[in-house]
Amino acid sequence: MQKRRREPAGDEPCGWLFDIKEFAVHDGPGIRLTLFLKGCPLRCQWCHNPEGIDPHPQTMTGPAGTRVVGRRFTPGEVASIINVQADILRANEGGVTFSGGEPLHQAAFVAAVIDRLDDVHVLLDTSGFASEADFRLVAGRCDLIYFDLKLMDDARHRAYTGAGNACILANLRVLAGMGVPYVVRVPLVPGVTDTPDNLRRIAAAVQGLPGLERVELLPYNRAAGGKYRAAGMTFAPDYDETRPCNTDTSPFIEQGIEVRVT
Amino acid sequence: MRKELREMRHRVRAKGHAVYRRASAPDVLSECEAEGLSWPRRVARLLRRQCEAETPVILPGERIVFTRTVPSVPPIYSEKEWDALFAAGKRHELGPISNICADWGQLLHQGLLERRAVAEATRAERADDPAAREFVECAMDGVDAVLELAARYEAEARRMGETETADVLARVPARPARTFREALQALRFVQAMVWLNGHYHVGLGRFDQYMGPFLEADLRTGRLTVAEAEDLLAEFFISLNKDTDLYPGVQQGDNGQSLMLGGVERDGADAVNELTYMALRVARDVNMIDPKINLRVTPQTPLDLLELAAQLTRQGLGFPQYSNDDVVIPALVDCGYDLEDARDYTVAACWEFIIPGKGMEIVNIGAVSFPAAVNEAILDGLAHSADLEGILERTRKNIRAQVDAQVDRCRNIILPPAPFYSVLMNDCLEQGRDLSTGLKYNNYGLHGACSANAADALAAVKHFVFDRGELEPSELVDALITNYDGREDMRRRLAREGPKVGNNDDRADAFLVKLFDFLADACEQCRDNGRGGILRPGTGSAMYYVWLARGSEGMAEPVVGATADGRKRGDFFSSSLAPSPGAPVRGPISVLQTYGKIDYRRICNGGPITMELSDTVFRDPESIRKVAMLVRTFAELGCQQFQLNALNADTLLDAREHPERHRDLIVRVWGWSGYFCELGPEYQEHIIARHMHGLT
Repeated sequence: MQKRRREPAGDEPCGWLFDIKEFAVHDGPGIRLTLFLKGCPLRCQWCHNPEGIDPHPQTMTGPAGTRVVGRRFTPGEVASIINVQADILRANEGGVTFSGGEPLHQAAFVAAVIDRLDDVHVLLDTSGFASEADFRLVAGRCDLIYFDLKLMDDARHRAYTGAGNACILANLRVLAGMGVPYVVRVPLVPGVTDTPDNLRRIAAAVQGLPGLERVELLPYNRAAGGKYRAAGMTFAPDYDETRPCNTDTSPFIEQGIEVRVT
Repeated sequence: MRKELREMRHRVRAKGHAVYRRASAPDVLSECEAEGLSWPRRVARLLRRQCEAETPVILPGERIVFTRTVPSVPPIYSEKEWDALFAAGKRHELGPISNICADWGQLLHQGLLERRAVAEATRAERADDPAAREFVECAMDGVDAVLELAARYEAEARRMGETETADVLARVPARPARTFREALQALRFVQAMVWLNGHYHVGLGRFDQYMGPFLEADLRTGRLTVAEAEDLLAEFFISLNKDTDLYPGVQQGDNGQSLMLGGVERDGADAVNELTYMALRVARDVNMIDPKINLRVTPQTPLDLLELAAQLTRQGLGFPQYSNDDVVIPALVDCGYDLEDARDYTVAACWEFIIPGKGMEIVNIGAVSFPAAVNEAILDGLAHSADLEGILERTRKNIRAQVDAQVDRCRNIILPPAPFYSVLMNDCLEQGRDLSTGLKYNNYGLHGACSANAADALAAVKHFVFDRGELEPSELVDALITNYDGREDMRRRLAREGPKVGNNDDRADAFLVKLFDFLADACEQCRDNGRGGILRPGTGSAMYYVWLARGSEGMAEPVVGATADGRKRGDFFSSSLAPSPGAPVRGPISVLQTYGKIDYRRICNGGPITMELSDTVFRDPESIRKVAMLVRTFAELGCQQFQLNALNADTLLDAREHPERHRDLIVRVWGWSGYFCELGPEYQEHIIARHMHGLT
């Protein structure tokens, strides 16, 4: 099966991964292989993959010793890792998920990998924070997009993620016009993203968008800070982690939007 | 589960019924000696006195009765005489027949009286054959003793006003069971008698096959509703946990009360029935370590059955264990089993494939230590400037030598007579022959232990010494001899950067395949194990992942020092089929792809791929379905046997520190599950380490 394969065009852009996870059961439909791409332009306070932020290799030190996180791959190498499992992934209603970090930070590499894949379902798990060109380059090659929406208020978005949300909202509109199905995912951070006002504004923003399959609310995971020490970083949330998050789905239901809490 | 059953479960777990136990077993030895009884008659006398010593105990609300009150099995020979019995040969483990499986369907359909009539007929026919005559007389005496105890139980039930229970006991186990309840009662009672007679690892076989027709008839005629049947089954499962602390085993929980579900009938038709599903549901709800559930699957097994099985896995019990009919049945046929018998396979205590009622097989005569074979080959080969082929040739010879030594050691195993157990087998009474003289199948099984470490060691030598020239042979030899003292960098490189089994990487997997080919070749050289059987190689390790690393009293296999895969002396090996502890592994799919490469047509003793999944994987129905798909993938990739664990590392660590908070925490150890807090510290340590290196 070579549904996807296109001729490699010119130079091979190499890329950096910080993890490859098999039998990922929470990263999309069916049995999936998830690739974690290193490097992210955002600095979300609640990021649970701190080793995915820096685009360069780094060391992680834990009880089992020190290891280097981040390995360079050619698109062909990554594609062959996926292709050797393509039959299994396809037979189990799954496929490959590009996650991170922010996969669009290495858009050309991700596109080059996808171009070398056999017949396998491709999911992009993105913050949407990218240039329109990079966004189109990858999203146009995917079967399903998981698109994060965190905060509708630009100033708060800037305060909690280090950047404004203008290009994210712009890319959401681009996506709505592309014909690729997508799921909007909202990480519920207590007192930050889970406010009734923010959820209402997200519901209003996505209401009626073509191609939207559903909204997923992702309750806060208290293990978010687990890896910071090992990565030599500091986890310093200015919200109360212990507060239960608001999982009220009514703002979406009222707009007739399918919503799940996962 | 109903409140009454939850309470019953709690009482059994708390061993409240232990108050009914006698202080000691009856003295049987004195009369055996005074009367100068033969061995078979002593075994029969033992059962008689054990039965007589039992006090009928019917606990409140109980419908499946029998509570053991005799706490142990008394000797029938003095220690000296006992040793002398085996002087001309070898004793297997404790001695008494263990780790086989009766034809329980035969018991349920005939009843003990009909079995006794068969014995009676044989006695008449074989009047001129003293051995046959003695055997059937002992068998009949056993039947009588068991039925006398059943009658006393019946009387006790009547005395207590438990009329239904009394009526059930008036019927079974003497005569054929007619209902689900009678069948369960007969099985509980007679299986307990086998234990009482000194046998152990008493397998339960293809439970849904022999028990299913009784359930279906009761449901069809309206005698039982599904809920009532589930209650009875729950009570039966709980009852199997009553006496487990009296059973012998390497560790508590290692008691071989395994049962099989699913598969095909003897004619090849799909055998999954209502009870297959019910047993999985009830085992999930009862959530105790016995019985240990096995499930036969194929790539075509419906996902809903596998989803139910995954729900059971989520409980953390470490079962069901899966075996793949598409792989196991043809392998057994290649091994010499008749096709109809091969289709009827179950597992012995842990994972070894046996045929109920037809096998007097010793499925665990020992282990071939792959790490020892490889380590010696590497040390000797590198010291003599051998190339890779030279090291492989040494490995092959070492494996062959280990197999030959095992065969020699076990050529003359002496099995004690087992007249009552023989009643439950096929053709023993008919032919006037005790099962210890052999049944239709008499093969031996040999574990091929700790294969991943051994394959990784060979891969490391090829990669670092021969392909890349990064290590001088003498450097590696020195490092192995000195346990990597002062060479931590080298050790880490070998441990972390070499090709490793479990990554679908042929650079390591090819050696894994080769090791098992060597083992199969060596076993095939053994045409007769001394009992008219062959030697079946397997992929299990049992306790050898600990023993080969740290030694154990009486172990024939050598302890292995530091190995070329970067493992230090004393560190544990991999358990059955699993990547080396701590080896970088990409994940479950790669592991299955790796293990799909072994030629299981030649490696048919069993031994599961062992895999730990975080309990977070099981959090919702959608991910349960994905676990079911993983099991289907296991079958599709042509793997043989699969054992999944749901674990939470934090819980294990806390349980080690605060056992009082985790009394009911159950974990899979090797072919069995046990209560974590009842395990020896070295087993606790291995389970924690296994999970810290877990895949997901």
